Amino acid sequence: CGFALRGPVALPFKSIYIGMPESSALGGELRRQIRANGQTQIMSSAKDAQVMLEVLSETRDKQILSLNSQGRVREYNLIYNFRFRLRNNEGKEYLEPVDIQLKRNISFNETQVLAKEAEEVLLYRDMQSDLVQQIMRRLAVVKMDD
Amino acid sequence: MAQTQTSGITAEAQVQNQLEEKSQKEKLQLAKAKQDDKNAPVTIRAEAFNGRPERFIKFERDVEIIKGGTKLNSDEAMYSNLDDEVDASGNVRMNRYGDCYSGDSMRLQLDSGAGFVSNPIYRLLRNNAQGHAKRIDFQDEERSIITSGTYSTCEGLNPDWYLQSDTLNLDTGLDRGVAGKSVVYFLGMPILATPSLTFPLSGARHSGFLPPVMGASSKGGPELTVPYYFNIAPNRDLTVYPKMIARRGLQLGLEGRYLGETYSGETSVEGLLNDRVTGTNRYAVASVHQQKLLPQLDFSWNINTASDDNYPTDFSRTITKTAQRLLLREANLTYYGSFWNLALRTSNYQVLQDLAAPIDRPYDRLPQLQLHAEQHDVGGLDWSMDAILTRFWHPTMVRGDRMVINPSVSLPLVQAGAFIIPKISFHATNYHLVNPAPGQESDFHRAVPTFSVDSGLVFERKTRMFDTDLTQTLEPRLFYVNTPYRDQSNMPNFDSAVADFNFAQIFSENRFTGQDRIGDSNQITAALISRFIEGNGDESLKLAIGQRFYFNTQKVTLDNTVSPSRSDLLLAAIGKLSSTLSGEMALQLSQTDRQSVRSNYGIRWQPSPKKVLNLAYRYQRNTLEQVDVSAQWPMADRWYMVGRSNYSMMDKRMVDGLLGFEYKADCWSLRFLAQRFATNSVNNTSGFSIQLELNGLARLGFGGNPIDALRKNISGYQPINER
Repeated sequence: CGFALRGPVALPFKSIYIGMPESSALGGELRRQIRANGQTQIMSSAKDAQVMLEVLSETRDKQILSLNSQGRVREYNLIYNFRFRLRNNEGKEYLEPVDIQLKRNISFNETQVLAKEAEEVLLYRDMQSDLVQQIMRRLAVVKMDD
Repeated sequence: MAQTQTSGITAEAQVQNQLEEKSQKEKLQLAKAKQDDKNAPVTIRAEAFNGRPERFIKFERDVEIIKGGTKLNSDEAMYSNLDDEVDASGNVRMNRYGDCYSGDSMRLQLDSGAGFVSNPIYRLLRNNAQGHAKRIDFQDEERSIITSGTYSTCEGLNPDWYLQSDTLNLDTGLDRGVAGKSVVYFLGMPILATPSLTFPLSGARHSGFLPPVMGASSKGGPELTVPYYFNIAPNRDLTVYPKMIARRGLQLGLEGRYLGETYSGETSVEGLLNDRVTGTNRYAVASVHQQKLLPQLDFSWNINTASDDNYPTDFSRTITKTAQRLLLREANLTYYGSFWNLALRTSNYQVLQDLAAPIDRPYDRLPQLQLHAEQHDVGGLDWSMDAILTRFWHPTMVRGDRMVINPSVSLPLVQAGAFIIPKISFHATNYHLVNPAPGQESDFHRAVPTFSVDSGLVFERKTRMFDTDLTQTLEPRLFYVNTPYRDQSNMPNFDSAVADFNFAQIFSENRFTGQDRIGDSNQITAALISRFIEGNGDESLKLAIGQRFYFNTQKVTLDNTVSPSRSDLLLAAIGKLSSTLSGEMALQLSQTDRQSVRSNYGIRWQPSPKKVLNLAYRYQRNTLEQVDVSAQWPMADRWYMVGRSNYSMMDKRMVDGLLGFEYKADCWSLRFLAQRFATNSVNNTSGFSIQLELNGLARLGFGGNPIDALRKNISGYQPINER
């Protein structure tokens, strides 16, 4: 049916700077994927890198999804919004600002609030892995015209 | 929640900064142009002139005077060379950087831009603001005072609305209008009289009185709020909300926001001394704050409190507040090392009890100390370590200290199209209870190893769907977990619960969240995911199916509920079906009785801007079954209908509903909105609001802010007067 095992896809740039702090879990996972992918080098400063990934915003939101008949929350929607662009240190944009939104539902009950806190962490980690995959897909098709 | 709100502010602040940057740039360009003008030559044309060139010159018939960005036309003009001043009369018209003024006579000092015009008609470039007056005094090129004049953003001689004021100060530099004693006329009728009103000439907000808000509630009677906004600096502001509630008294609200290089936060406080209904003091506080104390040390708090259980139902008019009966108070101190962090946290929840359906109070953590460390790719290995020490406190239930140590090591073998990750972890827990139940020991511990293997393949192919070239992936994944059984029936439950069964959970080792229960398992999870990816890397559709298979019966339980031996089947789909249609579905099917345990179907159709229809169905066995419909839809030219109905099929009752109409004219819009939602098992709260938005002046209204309600209730809603 035409499916073939994915081979290594080299990113279209030789070196990249990831504009996220060392302590960022998202940054860590992204660096690791780029390293696993092959030839692109990860630089520790923006001026040495051919391109830089700049995070424009990263927000987490929690919306009420369903209420029970007593007007109490029974489901929340966790929304993770991420906006980034790719440019070089002279300001030339290779990737216009891209918005990626991820959502997960979580059930809620007041008596389990501490357990639900831990579950939210699990869901955000899951969204983060998803996000890293989506960022990688975007980076793989960037057009470098020089 | 703390994170939610603050990251919200940051994003907003970023946007604000960008806007400010842009307008700063424009302002600088304009300022430079104006500066150049000071030295620009004056060109005067006319059919005839006479006088003494070094003192006065009189120009006659079709006079045109140009200096830089200023152009003045009139029938006659007297130019004084000494003062660089013009006295023009007869059909005077001036265009200054796009702002136009015409009148009977005008005096203008060309160098400073100061002067006056009598009986003028004016039109400003910004906001298309226009009106007429007895006189306009120009203090300089940016500031002017309009005497006995009108202001409107409507076109034409008979504007739909206008502001009539005795004095009106306009400052295009500061982007601000300040009106003295004024009356707002709408369709010829006076609708608001005010001693003072501040309004922006475009978007940004400025210090001053905001338009008053009237309202009424079934519990407090009529109410009137007169907000005052202090724009302290671009990155900090304060709004004061004095609110007179007829039956209760005067409530004072304060809301402050701030954003610095190393800190940010938002605090709102409201209070009412001696509520005339209850005879008590009523108050509520909500405050979040983040701060970087040192480059590696973060501090934050999130504090929410209310004076009594009924506060949200008595005072809050939005469902987001009445639906929350747990108010979090917490403080965090976190130190970030190179590959580790150490966090000290203390937390407590205030419970706003509902006597009809009492809530168990959650445990306080007084405090919790957590060390987390992880490193990747150390000789091919990843390792992580968590150590958590918590003192749990509760007024009635068993209290104690819990120490958890949870190290893990994994060996990820990752290639572009395949991965396999074997992992070993160890979970050691020690309890010391302060007040054990009779027959319960005070000290005990538990040690459980877990072995898991996660593995997957990624296949790809090129395909075409809806005339688009796509890459389709096929990603099979297998996850095996083995955790031996440990008897945990005598252990307290401080923070554990059975996790929701979903795609994140089926690939985690423990079926419980929290640290008090470690589920025994000998199970394998199989899943297949397929993604459709567009040429630019955008994921347009994702399909997933997954199931967990147990090799033996699970013995660890929480609250003595028995787990089924076969796991439920999960199905999920999310994505775009076309450029206007998107949908999502998630289904959890029980393999024991072949019925759904939880399901979620949703579809959104957005054929054009300001036209959206959402349909959703949500089901949780024994908990809820709801149909949710919401829409913003044009009904006729300029008329839009907005509505939402969230109907509980289990209770045959509308949980949350609203219905409204919006009318959009060229320079104003009008909204009517009725809302009704459940506040407890028998009661509903109803609200009604009307809002008249006079573009470029103010939003005048009765009741709450309908735009907030519409944004929260109708996913995809766009305000009708936005371009």
